[in-house]
Amino acid sequence: MKRKLLYIFLTFIFCITALTSYSQQQRFPKPEFSSGYEQPDVVTPEPRSGGFEYLDVAVLLVVLSLAAWFALRKRSRQGILWLSVFTLVYFGFYRNGCICSVGSFQNITLSFFDAGYSVSISTLLFFLLPLIFALFFGRVFCAGACPLGAIQDLLIVKPLSLPKWLNKTLGLIPYIYLALAVLFAATGTDFIVCRYDPFVGIFRMDAKFHMIVLGISFLLMGMFVARPYCRFLCPYGVLLSWMSRFSKWHLTITPSLCIKCKLCTTSCPFDAIDFPVNEKEIVQSGPGTKKFIVYAMLIPLWIVAGAFVGERSHLYLSRANQNVYLAELLISDPEIKNDPDNIDVQTFLESGKTMETLVEEAEVMRGQFKTGSMIAGGFIGLVIGLTLINTTVFRKRQDYVPHRGNCLSCGRCMDYCPVEK
Amino acid sequence: MSEKNEIIERIFARKGIIAVGLAVFGLALAGSFFTNDYLKKFNIDTVAAADKDSTEVEQVEVIEVIPATEVPEAEQQPAGDEIPAQSEEEATVAEQEVEQAVTEKPAAEIVNAPVKLTASLLRNNHNSFRGPFGLGVIYHKNIPVEWDGNTGKSVLWKTPVPKPGFNSPVIWDDKIFLAGADENNREVYCFNRSDGKLLWTGKAGNIPGSPSSPPRVTEDTGLSAPTVTTDGKGVYAIFATGDIVAFNMDGQRIWAKNLGVPDNHYGHSSSLITWDNKLFVQYDTNKGGKIMALETADGETVWETGRKSKISWASPVLVEVDGAYQLLLTADPIVAGYDVSSGKELWSVECMMGEVGPSVAYSNGIVFAANEYARMVAIDIKTKEILWEQDMYLPEASSPLAHNGLVIVATSYGVLACYDAKTGDQHWEHDVGTTLYSSPVTADGKLFLIDNEGVMRVYEFSKEMKLLKENELGEAAGTTPAFANGRIYIRGEKHLYCIGN
Repeated sequence: MKRKLLYIFLTFIFCITALTSYSQQQRFPKPEFSSGYEQPDVVTPEPRSGGFEYLDVAVLLVVLSLAAWFALRKRSRQGILWLSVFTLVYFGFYRNGCICSVGSFQNITLSFFDAGYSVSISTLLFFLLPLIFALFFGRVFCAGACPLGAIQDLLIVKPLSLPKWLNKTLGLIPYIYLALAVLFAATGTDFIVCRYDPFVGIFRMDAKFHMIVLGISFLLMGMFVARPYCRFLCPYGVLLSWMSRFSKWHLTITPSLCIKCKLCTTSCPFDAIDFPVNEKEIVQSGPGTKKFIVYAMLIPLWIVAGAFVGERSHLYLSRANQNVYLAELLISDPEIKNDPDNIDVQTFLESGKTMETLVEEAEVMRGQFKTGSMIAGGFIGLVIGLTLINTTVFRKRQDYVPHRGNCLSCGRCMDYCPVEK
Repeated sequence: MSEKNEIIERIFARKGIIAVGLAVFGLALAGSFFTNDYLKKFNIDTVAAADKDSTEVEQVEVIEVIPATEVPEAEQQPAGDEIPAQSEEEATVAEQEVEQAVTEKPAAEIVNAPVKLTASLLRNNHNSFRGPFGLGVIYHKNIPVEWDGNTGKSVLWKTPVPKPGFNSPVIWDDKIFLAGADENNREVYCFNRSDGKLLWTGKAGNIPGSPSSPPRVTEDTGLSAPTVTTDGKGVYAIFATGDIVAFNMDGQRIWAKNLGVPDNHYGHSSSLITWDNKLFVQYDTNKGGKIMALETADGETVWETGRKSKISWASPVLVEVDGAYQLLLTADPIVAGYDVSSGKELWSVECMMGEVGPSVAYSNGIVFAANEYARMVAIDIKTKEILWEQDMYLPEASSPLAHNGLVIVATSYGVLACYDAKTGDQHWEHDVGTTLYSSPVTADGKLFLIDNEGVMRVYEFSKEMKLLKENELGEAAGTTPAFANGRIYIRGEKHLYCIGN
């Protein structure tokens, strides 16, 4: 416990130092040019030059390998913990949270839909390596290689166990976030996962005030609801979860046979331990097969409903796109042209592009959003349907085991198990 | 957690998922019902019409002013040694021609129809910084010499100027023009000369290439330092953003363009001047100097001549030499003349240095150029010979005045000095003790100079120093007054004043 408090103390000191540096940076504003040029807000840091981007890939590979080794072979929570600290320092504060596997799926998505956009090998590897490792070893990326997870993990103080129904319900959010992120990335509108990354501002010590507040809020919440971003928002976690469910090897609570001592039941701050199933109770609870069939038949209905809602929603979703937003703004409020403070409008006017061209481009974009929103809505409907059907399925289980999809492979439960090899 | 609880949890989970799913779909649907598809409402004709209406409505603005009594038109008897006199009949005919053009022709035709500016036409107006040709020599008579802005004595009217600017008023017929700008807007104002009523406000916005935020300028230069110019068919203005814009006399915008944001650490301040249907722009910036001539009708470049000069804040002056007009420019290091038709550099003398703000003076074939911390030189325009030079009293912002064998210099530290134009000998000096940024002008045999505190001193224009009157405006000033028909028009810090007997 003392050691844990020490880690928390050190992490707080680190965050406070970062915030102090941030405030000092604000004391000295960025230079302004006499030409009137305004420096835009930095969304991403400078790209890595030359071979350094491959150094990052190599570091990721080493960290993932070590995380897998610590979780599966060494069974060392201590090792995973120090690996998290390294990840936080290197990928978080040193690399400013970029390049990041969590947001990389947006680059991959855009490259599929925009022939003029190509992803670098390093981006592709940052996207694929954690998934490949998850396919073989479970979510070891979440355990020790994700800076977003690391900063939350190190600040867990007194995790509360959430009811399963709440975990399941909140677990829908990452799917919705994933669907929207793919939609916006595919249309070239925005990389929302990066834009609204709550911790990247802390890593870079430079972000808009509301994002800093959001990041700190997540950290404060994370003291009691462990890793809230990872569990209830992270869209990349959805992909990792899928892979991990089929992982060849996975972290186990016990190194040998489970003696059902129940010591591990309160060890997981993420409620990711599945308990043994009492078949007798399940049989007594009612006709499971009937429920399964009903919910299975409802899946197409959920998909159609989702697609319909998506189609209806494309109008306002498409407004996130700059061209659609500008065109609608200029049509709905022509007087806005005379507002010199509206930089978007003034930039458009200075570009020399005609209104007709802008509207044409906006209509094309809206068409893409219509199709994309229908697919995204259908996907969300499918997820709801499958999650419902999942609640009717009971798998035979006699031991206390980590949930393969939800387990973040942090290794906490291993320390609670009294069984030795 | 027991296995029984697991079953209950699953039931709750089902309900929760269904509730959340329906809530998400419901909210999304509700959002769609409140969303308008503006793209479907797009109609290019409607938008164009709206733009037109908006322009028409916004550009005309009238404000209440202090009522004034109409003053009879003063006698317009041109005088001077450099420019031949114009008869009353000629002046009347010229004025009638311009007036007829303004009242009868549609806006586009008015601007596209060339107007032949003549020296006599300019002398009856005050169409540029320092009056006709930018020389500081005024040909109007019966100019008042005594007033008091505090008590209202001889102040015929006083009207607020909407936005600040260090540019000076210019006059054409019954209209006075000024420019003003702040961080957000750049505007040109037209006032009625008889009662000071704001007739229209021309906006210099939505110009392709114009920066989204104005360049950084110093407080004593501002974003609207250059004085506008007019040729009786159009009004032309330039701002520190590099935006140059033309309006017709009724306030309709004719053309506008951005010349590129001038790289100028104080702010662009070179005033415009027009002649022969061309608008001349001195564009000396930190990236090099150039002089441009634009078509007054459409803003197209007629010619552009690069200058081997550094940045400057001086304004071009027009002079006639051997029957042909040329532009006189001064900057570090050259004082030079350019042919108004072709832009060709006719002559240049390397004699100037520093950050040149004062424009040149000209009289009887001699060009007078000066700058603080440098020197003042008298150059024979034909031989390029430097006739004399002095470095006793040098101007910083105020431009020298040459007329009737005298050269007047006003220093920023408050000394007004008079030199002999031919020899450079000093006739007199007067330490007024206040900052002098305004340029001296001569009218009706007198010398007028207003200091930065708004006190205008009236001297006899002679070799002897004779201060006739000191008149307080009642607010700070720093621009150069305009004159017309027995009246003086002064731009104070916040108001435009009309002084008359």
